[in-house]
Amino acid sequence: MSEGEHSCAEHCGIFTIGGDLAIQGAYRDICYQPVRDNIWTASEGIYRTIFLEGNKGCIAFDTFGTPGTARAYQQAIARVFPKKPIHTVVYSHEHLDHCGYAADLAPDAKILSHDYANQVIVGRQSSGQLAAHETFADERISHEIDGCYFELIYPGHTHGDGNIAAYFPQSKTLFMVDTVADGVGYTTLMDWHLTHYVPVMKRFLSLDWDVFVPGHFWPITRPRFIQILDYWERMFDFGQQAIFDGLDPHDWDGLNKYTDEKLGPLYGNEFRYHEYGAMNLYRYMQEYLTGGWGMEGNMTPPNLSPL
Amino acid sequence: MTENRGLFTLPGAQAYLAAEPEMTTEQLSDRLFTVSDGQVRTIFMAGDTGVIAFDTFGTPGKARAYGKAIAIAVPDKPITTIIYSHDHLDHAGFAADLAPNAEIIADELCAKVIKLRGAEGQLQPSRVLTGERNELTIDGVDLVLLNPGPTHGSGNMAAYFAEEKTLFSSDTILANAKYGFMPDYHFCNFIRFMRGFLELDWDRFVPGRYELTDRDGFERGCDFIEAVMTTCQEAFVGFVPIWAYEPMKGYCMGQLSERFGDMEGFENHIGQMAIRIVHHYLMGGWGLEDTPEPSVLLADQVAL
Repeated sequence: MSEGEHSCAEHCGIFTIGGDLAIQGAYRDICYQPVRDNIWTASEGIYRTIFLEGNKGCIAFDTFGTPGTARAYQQAIARVFPKKPIHTVVYSHEHLDHCGYAADLAPDAKILSHDYANQVIVGRQSSGQLAAHETFADERISHEIDGCYFELIYPGHTHGDGNIAAYFPQSKTLFMVDTVADGVGYTTLMDWHLTHYVPVMKRFLSLDWDVFVPGHFWPITRPRFIQILDYWERMFDFGQQAIFDGLDPHDWDGLNKYTDEKLGPLYGNEFRYHEYGAMNLYRYMQEYLTGGWGMEGNMTPPNLSPL
Repeated sequence: MTENRGLFTLPGAQAYLAAEPEMTTEQLSDRLFTVSDGQVRTIFMAGDTGVIAFDTFGTPGKARAYGKAIAIAVPDKPITTIIYSHDHLDHAGFAADLAPNAEIIADELCAKVIKLRGAEGQLQPSRVLTGERNELTIDGVDLVLLNPGPTHGSGNMAAYFAEEKTLFSSDTILANAKYGFMPDYHFCNFIRFMRGFLELDWDRFVPGRYELTDRDGFERGCDFIEAVMTTCQEAFVGFVPIWAYEPMKGYCMGQLSERFGDMEGFENHIGQMAIRIVHHYLMGGWGLEDTPEPSVLLADQVAL
């Protein structure tokens, strides 16, 4: 179905159903708070991102995942900095739920992304997702834009394509989406490239930061970041053991029972454990049953040295 | 004896890897057979002088049991050719234990992923195919290998046997609703590619899991997945909490039970399918495989 067949007046992402796509236009309240220096963070309760105050305008990371939330994000930034329009958008990666609606956030802004992310964005042709104007293909690039200094880092394949962190050395702050967030989250670890995920993420520990802003929920400390990575690392062994114990990864009741027995005593108090512990285990089991998925899921990172 | 380990790293893997399940073999024609361990299913063909085995099953023990099943069905003919349906270890991970000296045929992309993976026991293909359609004659057997584009895993090839009016496609359409969370499926073009197989003349479908079905069963499988894709979009735009298992299951059950509730495994799997498929629309698909004119990111960085 083409965009023109929708009665929805909004950008419609990759939806193929017709009619009024009510969620696309729905307004969401955006909460915002300062992080450090010129860095602010914004969230609608589940998703989180950052924006920067420049001398003349603002730099927004990501767009949120519907036209309505993108507009609400723009309004939130305008509330904090009413005379400073968004002149730059930085995509953390290519997924629509974080970066799908620059057309509704700031259609005239300059957009930056990693090359891998932009290749997928161009190929996807999603309604409302604008292609980047400037990309980089290396591991690391520094920007000085409108008085804001930051470094964009592609550490290796983690989640989605071209998923980059933003590092603010002067503020000892790191921002990265859909990799580490507090608790047990991310359902079945959608589009995660598990095989080399942990060593790739540990590269960030060579940088000097003590605040981590994730793409969901709330900012966390460096020790908490390490704890969460430890959970993801230990799940490799739990996934293998579940297979040896004869658990069928497609048996939802069995997955939950097994997870409660084996992981509950260790992680039962983690945020959203009871929703997602079983789904997490499922994904780790598949890593061993099927092998990693695709190029990103199998390619050894060219560089695992400190950043 | 130490078994090939695939990707397992824990010492406890050995017993799991060594276990040899009972295999059930069914003869489909003079030359064509299908075999299953109760979950995974594949096919093999008797050539003039040897056997062409599709896939290997997912452990060394299962590969050996597969080899024994072949030897019973086609005595005195060695396995001379293995054709990988796709790259996943649970189907194609242990050629080293099935027939280490056989010629191995696979799609180019499948071969590249296998090379990157480096799993112990998964042998590198010795003959690589490209393109959507390859017509081969191997040891007196005519067969057509079809890769319409990304469907599941990497380099997933279906096999079409015109004489037997049979299509084999691994981990795509099933004869039931037991899809689970649909690992490594590429949804953007999935239904279009699957329905493309209906342009061929066949009346028996051999899936990569569970039981066989016919043309009508295959079409119903396409209808089912397409209906779940539509229903997941409706759930999304209707403010169903798409992150949560029970609400997504409940919504899809309500919308789809009347039409598809009779399919085996429907109630136990529809929630898992819904969680996976609704994320396709939330996130936009995964990688270049999931775009309207699909390709594969990084593929040109891997040399065979």
